[in-house]
Amino acid sequence: MGGKNLALTELRAEYEREVVAPVEIGNLQRSLSLWEKLWDSGAVRKLLILIVLATIWQVYATRLDNPLMLPTFFDMLVALSQMFLSGELLAKIDTSLRVLLLGYGGGIVVATVLTILAIRNRLGTDLLETLTAMFNPLPAIALLPLALLWFGLGLPSIIFVLIHAVTWPIALNVYSGFTGVSNTLRMVGQNYGLTGLGFIWNILVPAAFPQILTGLKVGWAFAWRTLIASELVFGVNSGSGGLGWFIFEKKNQLEIASVFAGLFVVIVIGIFVENGLFKLIEDKTITRWGMKS
Amino acid sequence: MPAQNTPISESFLDVQNVTLQYKTKEYLVTATYRVNFQVYQSERLILLGPSGCGKSTLLKAIGGYLQPTEGVIRLEGREIVKPGPDRGMVFQEFEQLLPWKTVLENVVFALTAGRRMPLHEAKDQAEYYLEKVNLIKFAHSYPHTLSGGMKQRVAIARCLALQSKVILMDEPFAALDALTRQKMQEELLELWSGSHFTLVFVTHSIEEAILLGTRIVLLSPHPGQVKAELNIDWDRLDDPGQQEFKELRDRIHRILFKDQIEYVI
Repeated sequence: MGGKNLALTELRAEYEREVVAPVEIGNLQRSLSLWEKLWDSGAVRKLLILIVLATIWQVYATRLDNPLMLPTFFDMLVALSQMFLSGELLAKIDTSLRVLLLGYGGGIVVATVLTILAIRNRLGTDLLETLTAMFNPLPAIALLPLALLWFGLGLPSIIFVLIHAVTWPIALNVYSGFTGVSNTLRMVGQNYGLTGLGFIWNILVPAAFPQILTGLKVGWAFAWRTLIASELVFGVNSGSGGLGWFIFEKKNQLEIASVFAGLFVVIVIGIFVENGLFKLIEDKTITRWGMKS
Repeated sequence: MPAQNTPISESFLDVQNVTLQYKTKEYLVTATYRVNFQVYQSERLILLGPSGCGKSTLLKAIGGYLQPTEGVIRLEGREIVKPGPDRGMVFQEFEQLLPWKTVLENVVFALTAGRRMPLHEAKDQAEYYLEKVNLIKFAHSYPHTLSGGMKQRVAIARCLALQSKVILMDEPFAALDALTRQKMQEELLELWSGSHFTLVFVTHSIEEAILLGTRIVLLSPHPGQVKAELNIDWDRLDDPGQQEFKELRDRIHRILFKDQIEYVI
């Protein structure tokens, strides 16, 4: 620290000056070019990846030339558009999504009840932790035989299995989100006189929203794949099954392009929900609130 | 308990013989021991002490977040048993604003949360107080876009809008840079001269205590006990040479550190 040893340094002149006004500097900010904007959009970059993948598929399948093993991308598109036009596929999608939403909604309700119990008293916490430890690792599809025994062939069995698939990941994430809410925010809520459900809804839920959203996403993915898998196992529901059944049926009829079309639809719906629906919710909430960079 | 008239010469917030203890994993820690002091209406009382003197714990007890193991805290004669909006808190952490609400919504929500005020009325009041802290331009911004000083200003506006009987501040300027802190201190005094709210303010800075307080309670470290109560005479402090300021600062310093063999200024 030589700050006080003035004798060691030469004494320099002091000065004051007027700074240049910002208007005279100009170009403080410019708008980005179209290309920069496009490249900044995640949707555009992801679309590019999809196009590349589809091209590889098309080239490889054309060279392989074996439509029974691997139809080309365009064959699949043709089969897809035909089934769309006939309305066959739409009916299957409709059936699958209805069942899915029922199971997903049911799982959310069960998870909500368990989590509220868990944060209200210690026994509730123990209950949630024990149940999650027991059931979370259990693949939902492994319960299907039991479900068939209890509820018979049909809707109730699938919904039971779906609720099992959805409940645990959501409950786990929501609960850990709640416990992670900062003490300061809790105290602020109490300061306002909030208690019980009002406190949970107004403080804990929004504060834990990043993790709640993660839970919902994981739950959605679990529900979707459990549904398709259990439909593959039986799926017949008064003659009209869902997408999984559709895939199974088309394979039996050796309409392989249609099998691929069915899988393609499953993927597209997945992408739409993940990058469309959940992305939209994310943009409207945690991104806007600065909880995610 | 019947409502009481509280003339200014009578104690408004009464901390009586308060011992506070809290548990960690292994120990039961005594934070304060038999603390007594009274706060009068429109007073700016400063709790001053070194870190570990339990001043924040004391403030939390007034806030109703923890119960004394001995003694009692009364506000207008009623014992404090739980947190409530009649004791608005301003915390040190910037994250005390709800990040999912805009600046305006944050203040409005404080007023409507306990269903105490109709929405349009709450909005008018919130805008009035945001105007007072010069943040009306940022009413529709989210907290994460504000600077630390602005966030603390919102927290203060929120408390003023609540029109609490007493406002509790827990080192609200400690995490700010020195220039902003100085500005906030001046602004707080200006706000006070507008509405004469009752303030209990926790700090570990002697300078801040002298600048902001009308009365200072000095606490000893570990466990916190009252060492002295001092009045700040504002007419005397206004002298240009700041001689009075320095004398008071040295006096507080002596009281706080007289047990130690040597001290540095």
